[in-house]
Amino acid sequence: MGHTIAEKILGHHAGGRPACAGEIVIADVDFAMIHDARAGNALKMIDKLGARSLPFVRRTALVLDHYSPPPNMEAANTHVEMRAFAEKHGAPLYDVGDGICHQVLPEGGHLTCGDLVVGTDTHSTTYGAFNAFGTGVEGTDVSAVMMTGKLWFRVPETIHVELNGPLQPGVWAKDVTLTMLGKLGAEGANYQALEYTGSGVAAMAIDDRMTLSNHAAELGAKAALLEADAKTLAWLKAHGAAAPKPVKADADAVYAQRIVIDTAKLAPQVARQHHIDDIAAVPDVAGQKIQVALIGTCTNGRLDDIRQAAAILKGRKLAKGVRMIVTPASRAIYLAAMREGLFEVLTEAGASVEAAGCGTCVNITGHYISGDGQVVISSANRNFKGRLGNPKSEIWIGSAATVAASALTGVITDARTVAGGDWRAAA
Amino acid sequence: MNIIRGSSRILGDEVSTDIHCSSKYLPGKDTAYIATVAFEQVAPGFARAFAKGDIIVAGRNFGINSSREQAVHVMHRLGVAAIIAPSFGRQFYRNAINNGMPVVECDTAGIAAGDAVELDLAGGRISVPARNIARTVPPLPAAVQALLSAGGLIPFLQKHPDWNLGELAA
Ligand code: SF4
Repeated sequence: MGHTIAEKILGHHAGGRPACAGEIVIADVDFAMIHDARAGNALKMIDKLGARSLPFVRRTALVLDHYSPPPNMEAANTHVEMRAFAEKHGAPLYDVGDGICHQVLPEGGHLTCGDLVVGTDTHSTTYGAFNAFGTGVEGTDVSAVMMTGKLWFRVPETIHVELNGPLQPGVWAKDVTLTMLGKLGAEGANYQALEYTGSGVAAMAIDDRMTLSNHAAELGAKAALLEADAKTLAWLKAHGAAAPKPVKADADAVYAQRIVIDTAKLAPQVARQHHIDDIAAVPDVAGQKIQVALIGTCTNGRLDDIRQAAAILKGRKLAKGVRMIVTPASRAIYLAAMREGLFEVLTEAGASVEAAGCGTCVNITGHYISGDGQVVISSANRNFKGRLGNPKSEIWIGSAATVAASALTGVITDARTVAGGDWRAAA
Repeated sequence: MNIIRGSSRILGDEVSTDIHCSSKYLPGKDTAYIATVAFEQVAPGFARAFAKGDIIVAGRNFGINSSREQAVHVMHRLGVAAIIAPSFGRQFYRNAINNGMPVVECDTAGIAAGDAVELDLAGGRISVPARNIARTVPPLPAAVQALLSAGGLIPFLQKHPDWNLGELAA
C-alpha cells in the first residue's frame, strides 16, 4: 500500500518508515515559528518551567507581525519581551515591518522540501507550497519544540485535488480555493491534508502556489502539500534554503477523497459577506457596490498581487467614494514593489500603502476599516461578521485582481472585463 | 480519570472559541473575566449556571477556525470535566489535549441539557442512562490518554523529557 506526501514526511521525521493516516507519531520538527499574538503565552510558560536550556530555540523564529505597528501598550510590551527573549537565546527575530510570518519564513530560507514546520498560526499550511509539511499549533506546542525538538502529530488522511489546466488570465489560485470552499464548505477538510497536483498547479507561479497552500486553512486543512518542481527548487535556492529533499506520493497512495477541478474553465469567484463558504462566481454578483478595497495579508499580499492591482489601476483613479489600502506581506515585497514603481501607480490612483505585516486582515491589528453599512472587498482569508471590528459592515473576499477591478469601478467587477485585468507574470 | 461523570451543558454548531471563549476580540480582559462571560452570546447565562464537573455537549465543529489555547484555560476555570461533540475544530482539539482537557468525538443526538452523562475514555463508550443512550466511540489513542492523564503536554514532558512512553513512541 502506498503513502501520501503527509504520511511520508511525518514518517520520515518519526523514525523513518512512512506513517499511516490515523496514527499518532512523535516527530522531529525542523523549524518552528511563534508570532506576537501568541508569544505572551509561550514565553510565560517557558519562564514558568524555568527551562534553562532550550536546545532548539535557534530553530524557532519569533515574528512581530500581527501588532505591526502595535495598536496598544500591551502589544508594544509583548514586543519588548520577544526582542529580549530572542537576544538572550539566539532565536531568529523578525521585527515590526519585516513582514508576516508565513512570508518571512520561506523568504528567510528557513524551510525546504520535505521539512516538517510548525507555527502558532492556522495559516502555517502555507509552507506546503514548498513541499514542506507546515501546520498550525499553539504556544504550548512551540514551547515543547524549543525544549525537545519534537512534537506529537496525528497523521492526517489526505484529499487529492487535481487542477486541470492553467488558469485563464484574470483568474488566480484564490479563485480555486474559493471554489473548493463552495464544494467542501468551511472546515470541509477538517483534520485532513490536501495534496494539489495537475497542470493547473504546474502553471502557477510560486506566489500563487503559496495562496493555494495558505488558504487551505479556511477548509480546516492541517496541511496543503504541493509537489516540488523546477520552479520550487529555483525559488528555494534563490532564498538560501537548505538542500531540498522532495517528497512525492506513491502512485497507489490511499486518499480519503479525490476531487478534480476544471481550472482552465474557472471564472473569478467571491465569498459573499460573513461566510467564507458562501461562494458566487463574480459575473453573478457583478454590480454589488463596495466602498473599501483591501489588498494584503498572508493569503494575497504578495508581489504578483500588487503587480496585478497596479496593472489594473495604472493611469486610472479609484471610483468615487472608494478607499483602498495595500499592505505588502513582507519588507522584501515592499521593497520590490517600490523599485518596480508599483506604489507610484497605486498612490496616484488614490490608494494608500502601509508597512508590511498583517495590517488590514483582522481588527486585533488595531485597524478600524469600515463604518456602519459599508461593504469591503478584500483579498484576505476570513470574512465573518466583525472580523474588521465593525459587525455592521460586510466583508466580501476575492482575488487581488477582483479587488483592484472593483476598486476601479466601485462595484464588484470581473477583472477579465477591465484593461490590465489579464496581467500575469511571465512564467 | 478514565470514567468521567457529569451533567450535560449544551452548545450549538460551529461555536468559535476565539469569539466566545477568549480575549482575542476583548483585548485587555483576562481569563478570570472571560470565564464569567464565556459563550454568553450563543447560550445566555451559560457561565453563570455552570457547575464544576459539568460536561459540555457541543454541536458540529466545536472550536472552529483558529483557536486560542486560552479557551481551554477558561474552561478549566469554569470546571469543565470533558467536552463531547460530533466534530471539533482541529486546533481546538489539539489545544484541549495539550492542556489536559478530555475531548471525545461522538454523536450527541438525543442528549439534552442537564442529562447525566458518563464517558469511558479508555473503553470508548458514552452513555446517558436516563435516555437509554449507550454509544461506542473509538477509544482515545494511548498517546492522547497519556497526555491527558499527565495533565497536558508540558506536565507530560516534565515527567518524560525524552517523549518516551512505550506505545506513545511506537
Ligand atoms: S495576515 Fe491575517 S490570517 Fe495571515 S497571519 Fe496575519 S492575521 Fe493571520
